[in-house]
Amino acid sequence: MASVHESLYFNPMMTNGVVHANVFGIKDWVTPYKISVLALLYEMTTSKPIALQERRRLNKLILFVCLSGMLPSNSICCETPVSDACCLLSSHTLSLNRLHEMADGELKDMEYFFATLPTPFSAIDSEAYKTSVVGLFMRHMLLAYNKLSFSQVYKLYKALQQYYHSHYSQPGDVQVGLPALAADDSDMDLTSTEDNVGERMEKEELDTAPLHESELSRGPLSQKQAEYFLARQAYLLKNDENKALKPSALQDELNNMLKFNPDFAEAHYLSYLNSMRVQDIFISTHSLLHYFDRLILSGSEGKSNGDEGYGRSLRYAALNLAALHCRFGHYQQADLALQEAIRIAQESNDHVCLQHCLSWLYTLEQMKGSDSSVLTEDSVKMAAHFCLPYLVSLGIQSLVQQGAVQGKTAHELMDALKDTDILHWKHSLSELIDISLAQTTSIWRMYGKSTMAQQQAQLLLNMNSLEQVNFGVQQNNTEAFAVALCHLAELHAEQGLYGAVSEVLKHLKEQFPPHTQHAKLWMLCDLKIQFDRAMNDGKYHLAEPHVTAIAALNKTEGLYRKAQVLKALNRTTEAYSILQRLQLYCEKTKYTEMIIRVMLVTAELHWESSGFATALPLLLQALALARQHHLQALASETILHLAFTQLMLGVPEQALGVLHEAMEPILAHGAVMDKGRALLLAARCQMAMAGTRSNGQKHAALGLAVQSLGEAAAYFSMLDCKERLRDVHYLQARLHHTLGQTPQRNKCAMLFRLLDQELQAPGAAVAMRL
Amino acid sequence: MAALCSEFGDLVQIKKQLISVISLCKERGLVHSIMFSLLMHEHVAYVFELEEDAQDMDALGLAKSYFDLKEYDRAAYFLRGCSSQKAYFLYMYSRYLSGEKKKDDETVDSLGPLEKGQVRNEALRELRVELSKKHSAGELDGFTLYLYGVVLRKLDLLKEAVDVFVEATHALPLHWGAWLELCNLITNIDMLKSLSLPDCWIRDFFIAHMYTELQMIKEALQKYQSLIESGFSKSTYIVSQIAVAYHNIRDIDQALALFNELREQDPFRIENMDTFSNLLYVRSMKPELSYLAHNLVGIDKYRVETCCVIGNYYSLRSQHEKAALYFQRALKLNPRCLGAWTLMGHEYMEMKNTSAAIQAYRHAIEVNKRDYRAWYGLGQTYEILKMPFYCLYYYRKAHQLRPNDSRMLVALGESYEKLSQHVEAKKCYWRAYTVGDVERMALLKLAKLHEQLNESDDAAQCYIIYIQDIFSCGEQLEHAEVSTALRYLGQYYFKNKLYEEASLCAQRCCDYNDAREEGKALLRQISQVRDHMEASNTTPVRRVSPLDLSSFSP
Repeated sequence: MASVHESLYFNPMMTNGVVHANVFGIKDWVTPYKISVLALLYEMTTSKPIALQERRRLNKLILFVCLSGMLPSNSICCETPVSDACCLLSSHTLSLNRLHEMADGELKDMEYFFATLPTPFSAIDSEAYKTSVVGLFMRHMLLAYNKLSFSQVYKLYKALQQYYHSHYSQPGDVQVGLPALAADDSDMDLTSTEDNVGERMEKEELDTAPLHESELSRGPLSQKQAEYFLARQAYLLKNDENKALKPSALQDELNNMLKFNPDFAEAHYLSYLNSMRVQDIFISTHSLLHYFDRLILSGSEGKSNGDEGYGRSLRYAALNLAALHCRFGHYQQADLALQEAIRIAQESNDHVCLQHCLSWLYTLEQMKGSDSSVLTEDSVKMAAHFCLPYLVSLGIQSLVQQGAVQGKTAHELMDALKDTDILHWKHSLSELIDISLAQTTSIWRMYGKSTMAQQQAQLLLNMNSLEQVNFGVQQNNTEAFAVALCHLAELHAEQGLYGAVSEVLKHLKEQFPPHTQHAKLWMLCDLKIQFDRAMNDGKYHLAEPHVTAIAALNKTEGLYRKAQVLKALNRTTEAYSILQRLQLYCEKTKYTEMIIRVMLVTAELHWESSGFATALPLLLQALALARQHHLQALASETILHLAFTQLMLGVPEQALGVLHEAMEPILAHGAVMDKGRALLLAARCQMAMAGTRSNGQKHAALGLAVQSLGEAAAYFSMLDCKERLRDVHYLQARLHHTLGQTPQRNKCAMLFRLLDQELQAPGAAVAMRL
Repeated sequence: MAALCSEFGDLVQIKKQLISVISLCKERGLVHSIMFSLLMHEHVAYVFELEEDAQDMDALGLAKSYFDLKEYDRAAYFLRGCSSQKAYFLYMYSRYLSGEKKKDDETVDSLGPLEKGQVRNEALRELRVELSKKHSAGELDGFTLYLYGVVLRKLDLLKEAVDVFVEATHALPLHWGAWLELCNLITNIDMLKSLSLPDCWIRDFFIAHMYTELQMIKEALQKYQSLIESGFSKSTYIVSQIAVAYHNIRDIDQALALFNELREQDPFRIENMDTFSNLLYVRSMKPELSYLAHNLVGIDKYRVETCCVIGNYYSLRSQHEKAALYFQRALKLNPRCLGAWTLMGHEYMEMKNTSAAIQAYRHAIEVNKRDYRAWYGLGQTYEILKMPFYCLYYYRKAHQLRPNDSRMLVALGESYEKLSQHVEAKKCYWRAYTVGDVERMALLKLAKLHEQLNESDDAAQCYIIYIQDIFSCGEQLEHAEVSTALRYLGQYYFKNKLYEEASLCAQRCCDYNDAREEGKALLRQISQVRDHMEASNTTPVRRVSPLDLSSFSP
């Protein structure tokens, strides 16, 4: 019973039982659109010669029209030139008359038209000569037309009629119809005939059955349209995801495409990419495997060395599967898949594939958190040997990253980056140039050179991409941009420019919506900034919820922040145990920056218990580490801590000496907060020293201290950091009192009083914190 | 006037004669003659200017005969004004079929690639509009509801289609077609349970069928058994369904017996014979398969089932090219024939044409995503291509569809073993054993895996169960593996100083050619050690219960 309803059609694409994925080898089919182009060409060849300039313009248009015959119309304005060209021809009315004749006449008119077309073989002088573009086009069309069967010719004619009547609204009045043509041409398209049938039906149906009709109404795409659609979407996914269709819409489109043309393997690949966007492992795996299953056949068909073709796609299939698992964080699975890819690549001596595998291997090792520099070096050497510049510089960049973390000297890293940059520019690897710039930004920032970092980030953002601007999209949706923008946000936050920060973050949010791959970067950055702000303002209850959010994005960072909050809340024991754990973990993973930071926080913990002497060795160790890794910002911070410890230990002279060492880099590159803290500390050292001096010197020293405090107050007020401002005002008031400057003293005291009232909470004793 | 009158009288006579001859022809199925008579009759009726109702009846009869002759447009034309429910159904149904036929015809000469896949039954939309109007007015009877459902399904409006089919079953529970369509639309058990179906005896048939489709074979068998007990014992339908169910759970003997019974009852049956041939193939029953193939060719050689049987026949004779050819023919007859795609994939595998095999399997999956054999076949293909990780996905899919099939589990285990994922591999093998291992390989593989990992206790345990299993099932399987097990056990017992058991195993080893020498050597060793031990006299440590082989005879 059921079999009655099954389609009994004979599958024309099947030979020897195997369905060939691409039967669309013949891409030339006569369509109504092409008939109108032919009509136009016919007029052109028969009409009288026209002015040279006009002719040139016309020729350009003709070329466009001929080539774009199968491109989707609504994407590029490729179809309007038909009418343009018509206008150019003085005899455009004739041209349309011809169509009109065909559409309103009978089948014989169309047959007559094809019969009278100048055969490219006979017309030697005209543009339709067999070797010309026009001639080629006409030959193709004639051939395709002659191949049509009886019923196909009739169908073509029907299609032409429909096409004509749907676009040339008033078939009787050609002159009036012309503007309509220009306007309507936007959807003058191959599939439009079908669409219109659908539309008409739908109008009838709409009142009776308002059911979801969308899937029915959408006509299938032609091969070229589908290819163009896929290429465009894939390009957008890679470079600017936001401009691509929404994941669900894209999936609908793809499903629709696959429904009408299940052999269109590329659609599966796009479906894979698309489901990666929404982190759907099931569909993405399914689509990926499906794609390669399909590819295996088409690969073996096209190549003369049959076996090689599909063996290759097998290897890349395994490699892609590894990449997929990597992306989803299934490291063990990725490892297995990668091993498999490596094994079969080795068996077939495919060095290029092996290189790709190797570069994935070290990436995987890195992601797993183990040291992969040896692998990377190997990869770079081998890739250089096989002339794969992309992999070479990718490897070098990876090495630079590892080297930076492991404390390689700056000039080595910079040299390496410079070398790769030369490579990039030579091979126009714009993607890698972006990465390189983002990396430089990161490195500069790690070294604590905020100005340089800022400059590099700006350079990246303002650089015109090398790649040709396709589909009106510049590459600005890649990880490199996200990284640079995050750095910028953090740099601005350091300078207290929170307005700018929120601007940058807003942009990031738009560019990288939360579901996308790189969104985690800005999320973390945003949270960090908010956390730091809350901590600086002393609003610990606000900082606490951020800790959980940070921990979700980055465990180590989360732990560190948690320790900070606990310390601030005076839950010393808990904080200490967390810090210990963190330090051990970081030492294992060689995360030097974090180790130093942990040491600093631990030292601060020691201060709380007045263990200044115990904090000292820790700080010295941190300083050594920071210097070894050229982490200037952290070194300065450590020096600040050191100086404070010394001050507390009662050696202000020493403290001041140490502090002077750090003062310069802090004022040059440091965050506003650090600047303020450094100056405040300097002032306190000066005050402490002044106590031991004679009267005259004392006055001078105190004057210096007042000056320092004034600057510190300026910095703190920039950040609106009230607690510290209160401390500063208190000290200022005391100093002015000692110096006998009553009005200033009163002013400062008043400021202190205001802030104190506002803050209410007594806060940590001035003496006890940096 | 008189002449006219006599003519008139003749006409009455003629009309009577025509009516009688029409019914006679109808009984004998002579469709062309019926049509001629009907045309005459219509003419006569026209002369008489009969009342409308009778005309309706005539039109219906005429249209029906056109319909029988597959002239659907003609049938629809004569039915256009009829008002009865029956005529309306026939009217709509002929329009639908006419659309389908045209669609099939048009597929051949399309106007280029953009038309491919775009060829659709143009009548469907109009039918849907008209039917949905009537549907909302509640004017559809069971048959028209069924047709409406079919139209909806063809338009890919599956949800609506399910609703309409359910309605159709309520309106006319005895119409099996509606149930069958519903069956194609239900994808899982939850969906089945959520439907409210009419309470009718036919519902049991439907549920049983559904269970078979959803691979819930045990439940299906139970259902069929109860149907047989309630009086449908002679129904060939039930017998064939049970046979298919047995085939699905790989109970080959039962299935073969049932199919043989079926063929006795209904010797010219072609339906389900492809399944029968699969069974014969699995059992390598060449003469029976050959007989079946020749028999079916005699009945109708242009049937999908026949082609599949012949394909299987050639495959069994290792003529894989020819086999593939016949499967291709089956696919030309019906491109949605699932079994043929899978079988063709198997043939390509045999011919080592992996890429073609992958394509064939992929097509099978496209036709039916739940075809576990195609998934399994894909897995095997990639396994042959030495991509154990890659094939895991496919085996997993197959396993999902058939969670209790040991073959998938063993395949999964093997892949895991190749990937050195020993824990997973062990789990798979053990699970394969517990769900009832068909090929009796799981335990052996598990034992070998344990052996590899130097887990001698576990290995011995597995070998013991394996040997007991092999002997208890009574069948004579290849001896090589039993001897391996015995050899290992002998050594194991020897190492654990259980000399009694060791010597027993060694003796058993001697029954097998390939293990004889080792068995003898072990026996010698044992006797040496025993001599030595009698001198020192120590007590052995017992770890594993000794193997009791006394009750089995190899």
